[in-house]
Amino acid sequence: MEEDYSVLTSSGLGRIRKSAVGDEEIMELLWQNGQVVFHSQNQRPGKNTQFEGCGDREAAEQSTIREIRPNGGGETASQHLSMQEDEIASWLQYPIDESSFESDLYADLLYSAPPPPAPMAAARPPPMPSSRPPVAPSQVKLELPPRLHSFAHFSRFPRGKIHSGPSSLSKATTMVDSNETSMVALESSVSKAAAENTAQVSGENVGQGIVSVTATGNETAPTYEMTLTSSSDGLGASDSGSADQHPPPATAEDRKCVGRETDDTGCQSEDFEFESLNAKRQAQGSTSTKRSRTAEVHNQSERRRRDRINEKMKALQELIPRCNKVVEFMYMFSLSWLERIQLLNIKSDKASMLDEAIEYVKSLQLQVQMMSMGCGMVPVMYPSIQQFIPAMGMWMGMGMGMGMPNRPVVPHPSLPGSAVPNPSRAAHIGPRFSIPTFSMPPVPAPDPTRFQAPNQSDAMLNSLAVQNSNQPQIPNFVHPYQQYLGLCQPRIPLPQNQTVMQPAANKPSSIKDIGNPEN
Amino acid sequence: MSSRRSRMRQAGVSRISEDQIADLVSKLQQLIPEIRNRRSDRVSASEVLQETCNYIKNLHREVDDLSDRLSQLLESIDSDSAQAAIIRSLLM
Repeated sequence: MEEDYSVLTSSGLGRIRKSAVGDEEIMELLWQNGQVVFHSQNQRPGKNTQFEGCGDREAAEQSTIREIRPNGGGETASQHLSMQEDEIASWLQYPIDESSFESDLYADLLYSAPPPPAPMAAARPPPMPSSRPPVAPSQVKLELPPRLHSFAHFSRFPRGKIHSGPSSLSKATTMVDSNETSMVALESSVSKAAAENTAQVSGENVGQGIVSVTATGNETAPTYEMTLTSSSDGLGASDSGSADQHPPPATAEDRKCVGRETDDTGCQSEDFEFESLNAKRQAQGSTSTKRSRTAEVHNQSERRRRDRINEKMKALQELIPRCNKVVEFMYMFSLSWLERIQLLNIKSDKASMLDEAIEYVKSLQLQVQMMSMGCGMVPVMYPSIQQFIPAMGMWMGMGMGMGMPNRPVVPHPSLPGSAVPNPSRAAHIGPRFSIPTFSMPPVPAPDPTRFQAPNQSDAMLNSLAVQNSNQPQIPNFVHPYQQYLGLCQPRIPLPQNQTVMQPAANKPSSIKDIGNPEN
Repeated sequence: MSSRRSRMRQAGVSRISEDQIADLVSKLQQLIPEIRNRRSDRVSASEVLQETCNYIKNLHREVDDLSDRLSQLLESIDSDSAQAAIIRSLLM
């Protein structure tokens, strides 16, 4: 299907270019497109290749959605929904050739092909089937016909007559509003793109706007983002940049944009980025020297790359706890190099954020290992407790002592198999065990995550903190054992250093084992 | 970290960001098993960041799963035992 689709796409491109010429053709194409889309959607309500379902017209009933009408009135969604079966029947009358056309047109509108330097996306690359799903609402009950007509408006009036588009689009989106956000975002982005569209960018921008917006609702958005940012159109890049990270806000903004009929730049970040690029392109378009174009393309590609990285950084920042120093990278990286100089602090924060990310990933890895060992430990506990307790102690100690941000720390990977008693070796580690006496087991669960927020185990933690300054990891590994020793043998206060090891022959070895790898 | 930042400030903006960030990204790359095993020399920064996000999410999920399992184990064993203490500390 994909091959067919790609073939169709190329043919559809020609068609799209002509779209500005023939109204009927566009309408028809859109309509057909909707039909095809409908089919394909049913085939795959989720993601991936939509066009695989080209042949399943019957299945179209499920996701319905694209109820396109040849004449395209602004019908209510409910009407469309009820018409689904009728639509299907009517669609069935159409030969598959037409459907292929439609898919092409739709694909062109939806996919942001990395356009060649020329403003018109002459050769859209093979379709991005994955981007389809968001546009084709498995979700829904959108009224495609009104929307398609809006598209038709866009393509028909590339020169600023798009205003009529947004109005119909907004009307359509109003009804659609209750539907999936992705579709709304799609339409709003279309309207937004339409509103801001001036001479050049008409069709492909609309398509890119659509695509970028669709990426919003798609879980595989990162993929789209790559494609989108590769396009020379700033809209796609900026949209994907902002939308990727915050789909709900983006769609919310899009909804606001929908309400505005014309030329509203209310949808902020994407808009200003888009406009600046657009204006820039227009300004340079007249002179259009090869050099300026190359530089522009280079800048744009660089900007897209930066946007991509910014999005990822934002996503990463959201995952990392206590990462509140990082600024909005997207905005930062959207600036020119001159402006970036002014953002020295921000760049430093970015590095610190990466530092935190590294530490956090390490701590998470340890935590997972420790917990998995803990899970596996219980069943085996009984047979040879003596052997396992030290190991567990190591784990627990490390968890308690690591003091990782939010999650308990997991012991070193090499620990599990190293619980071999060897009291003699423990003595070497002694100096590092300056841990105060421990309390009874119930007390102990010193919260590893609260390493920085001391609790009853303050004393232990403080001592650990002192030790940590020397070697972040090793002391942590070592001291926790002390803590665990306290836990496992409540009656045995753990004095400083080596003496602690004596009571439990197994424990020192465990500690030593852990300490050795670290050493 | 702070020392690096102060040093960087003296050096200039661009030097700070690119080298430093490239270094950090490579460090991050080493941590992530998926990329580490892939071993293609030119792994883009965005890819590393993306894989990091995915990896962290996976780790979060694993921690949650393990927490659930540990909680169940905790209920099944004698709460006064050493095991219980261990599990409790793990869960925190």
